[in-house]
Amino acid sequence: MTITPEELAAFADAEIIGERRAQIEAAIAADPALAQQLAAHNALKAQLSAHFAPILKAPLPDRLTVPLGGHDTVISFAGARGKLAVRKSNLRWGWVVGPALAASLAIAVFLPRGSGEAAGFAGPKLALALDEQLVATQPADASTRILVSFKRPDGSYCRAFNGSAESGIACRENRGWKLIDALPGSTGARNQFNQAGSENATLLAKVQQMADGPALDSKQEAAAARDGWR
Amino acid sequence: MDLLPRLRRFAIGLAGHPFDGDDLCQMTIERALTNRAKWQEGTRLDSWMYRIMRNIWIDEARSRTRRGRTFVDEEAGFAIGSEGAQEAQVELGNVGRAMERLPDDQREAVLLVMVEGYAYKEAAEIIGCPIGTLNSRLVRGRDALLAILGDAA
Repeated sequence: MTITPEELAAFADAEIIGERRAQIEAAIAADPALAQQLAAHNALKAQLSAHFAPILKAPLPDRLTVPLGGHDTVISFAGARGKLAVRKSNLRWGWVVGPALAASLAIAVFLPRGSGEAAGFAGPKLALALDEQLVATQPADASTRILVSFKRPDGSYCRAFNGSAESGIACRENRGWKLIDALPGSTGARNQFNQAGSENATLLAKVQQMADGPALDSKQEAAAARDGWR
Repeated sequence: MDLLPRLRRFAIGLAGHPFDGDDLCQMTIERALTNRAKWQEGTRLDSWMYRIMRNIWIDEARSRTRRGRTFVDEEAGFAIGSEGAQEAQVELGNVGRAMERLPDDQREAVLLVMVEGYAYKEAAEIIGCPIGTLNSRLVRGRDALLAILGDAA
């Protein structure tokens, strides 16, 4: 009796039933080579299941559960496509932001929210980070990470940041760091399936609209920090 | 929705990257909600949503390929996209890399049957191909995986 590779695979997938299944079982019992092939099939299946198993247990990102929460919040399909396109177009910032995002995996620190800062301006803790942290040298576990620094056409400096409490873009004005765009932070533990949340993509799209020229490199950034971002 | 983690697993498996997988999953949910009137009561919701998902994936893959070929060949285009993107940081592991090397049609067959546990008939219905076609894709995909993973081990 010959058993084709297709048939053995189907056997492993429990697709073959009845008499033929019994015949194949007998053939496998009599032929170590077949038994070995079957073991390989089963091992592969186990390997695949194990590989994908963590996804089933991982917490779902909000962007997947929100549309199901109520019909008011459904984002249009066209909107989603737009967002996808934006993300793809962001690759030119990838070299700056990649390391920052990778490190942001480690963040699970909660900052106290908005305590007494002037409306529209960064609070003391955020302002300190914006003043002093450099993309190149900031600690991997910083509670707020600077994603990118850039200049606006009027010459003022802006920095996009991402933190557990808030994320956004802040621009330096005389009174301090004005929050141009503030999003809720990436709260909650990040896992390997939702690092680099969509808020970063949104922010970086905004940065691209606002920026005059490319992002500051590490030298330019260090110089700007030395001069107090003016 | 209980189906969501499974849908997400399929999406990430198809796309090969968690981030792209979640994009795909999000688009699938949105399209399914928009079209929910078209789902027929009594048919399996999961198969219906998987079908939507793989159709979106194929549309996306097609436009990606077209864009890629404008400048460079397909292979190089994919490489640029995935190297430059942040999700390249995610360690895929041997299995993930092996899956990435499979052609799309074999990968989806392997995912549906070996990971999602669909019977051949159901998987063939989701893909919209005859069972024989599904069977041969599955065998080829499986042999390729065995060869790649066997080498790596």
